[in-house]
Amino acid sequence: MKKLVINLFLILTIFIIYFLQSNFFNWFNIAGVMPNVFIIFVLFIGLFTNKTVGTAYGVVIGLILDLLFSQKIGIQAVTLGLVGFLAAIFDKNFSKDSRMTIMLMVLGSTVIVEVLNYLLAYMFININVEIVNFVKILAIEVIYNMILTIIIYPLIQKFGYDIENEYKGNKILTRYF
Amino acid sequence: MYQNKKAGTIGIIITIIILILIVIFSNGESNTAFFENAASNLVMPIQNGLTYLKNKISGNNTFFTDINNLQQENEELKQKNSELEQSLRELENIRTENETLKEYLNLTEKYGEYNTIPGYVINKDISNYSKTIVINLGSNDGVAENMTVIADQGLVGYVISVTDTTAKVQTIVDTASSVSCIMSSNDESIVCKGTMDDSSTLKAMYIPTDSNIAQGESIETSGLGGIYPKGIHVGTVTKVTNTQNLTDRYATVETAVDFDKLNTVLVITNK
Repeated sequence: MKKLVINLFLILTIFIIYFLQSNFFNWFNIAGVMPNVFIIFVLFIGLFTNKTVGTAYGVVIGLILDLLFSQKIGIQAVTLGLVGFLAAIFDKNFSKDSRMTIMLMVLGSTVIVEVLNYLLAYMFININVEIVNFVKILAIEVIYNMILTIIIYPLIQKFGYDIENEYKGNKILTRYF
Repeated sequence: MYQNKKAGTIGIIITIIILILIVIFSNGESNTAFFENAASNLVMPIQNGLTYLKNKISGNNTFFTDINNLQQENEELKQKNSELEQSLRELENIRTENETLKEYLNLTEKYGEYNTIPGYVINKDISNYSKTIVINLGSNDGVAENMTVIADQGLVGYVISVTDTTAKVQTIVDTASSVSCIMSSNDESIVCKGTMDDSSTLKAMYIPTDSNIAQGESIETSGLGGIYPKGIHVGTVTKVTNTQNLTDRYATVETAVDFDKLNTVLVITNK
């Protein structure tokens, strides 16, 4: 029952993030570059639930974004799904109690997602490659994502551990050592 | 969880303030006038008072009244000057408006042969790396894939997929877009590709080595490639970049359509 509530809450959050991304960040940008909150969100789900749920949410969100905007369906589904999967691996190897590690995880996953997106787009859509501009935009986006992580970190922690208790139950031992 | 809660809150507030400042200052000077005004309002009364005191103490009031008069006169003249400049600018504006209106008239004549459906932009891409838009026309309105989309200023892009009520449009500034164009003065063909640089510039490549391309040259579609019809205005050349090799020089083309403010579009349903 509680899992159902959590999932409804997460789906609602997807919509909120979508509207933030398409309206608010369109206006509130750094030199024309928007952050990508979906990456933070999928990372967060993967960190606090498990591999399957994280990957599933990543693939579904990616598919929705692909259907809405992309020319080839599936590119973002693959990359965001990968983030959900990676997050579960991050969870096993790193602590979630420190703001710094979460920021570094956001940095890593943003770079991985955008570089992979770009490579896949290059392979399937045949875009005009501009490495310098790409790196410039990516750098600003990474910084923006990390700043946002600092701001929403208390939220991540508060809801994260509730969700983790529900999904992992008694299996979490590391937190008590 | 184990951190000092108060310090955490202060950190978050500082981060939010820094973020807002970065956003304001990275988006041009349009927002800084407010801060400048605030700063000058804060300082000027004290400054005036101090100046007045200094004048009183030094005793030679006449000199300063003269200066005051001169200052007043100077200000009046400056004001007059700025008014004149203002009217000049207005005239300039009217002239350009006149020109654009004339251009519109020509455009409607030019596009008169096409059947168009008007529509609105209802969504823009949320990614930083591609620039597709979604419009409120779909297969129910008679829109199909590969149809050309224009705005009243010029070319916008083409339809890449349709649903019943919406259509995805790949704009010409998208990095995946290449448009075959001609220069309107000498009919030599070039290819305009979208860049990631800016939302309103294209990179014109494959310029013939013997052609002399100049600033202000008008660019329109050539009709080659099968998607875009011939003779739709794309933009004007703003800069020609010469490289060491004549074959790979390129030009920067400013699109006629302002993609940041694009709201209404027309879909051409026949070719």
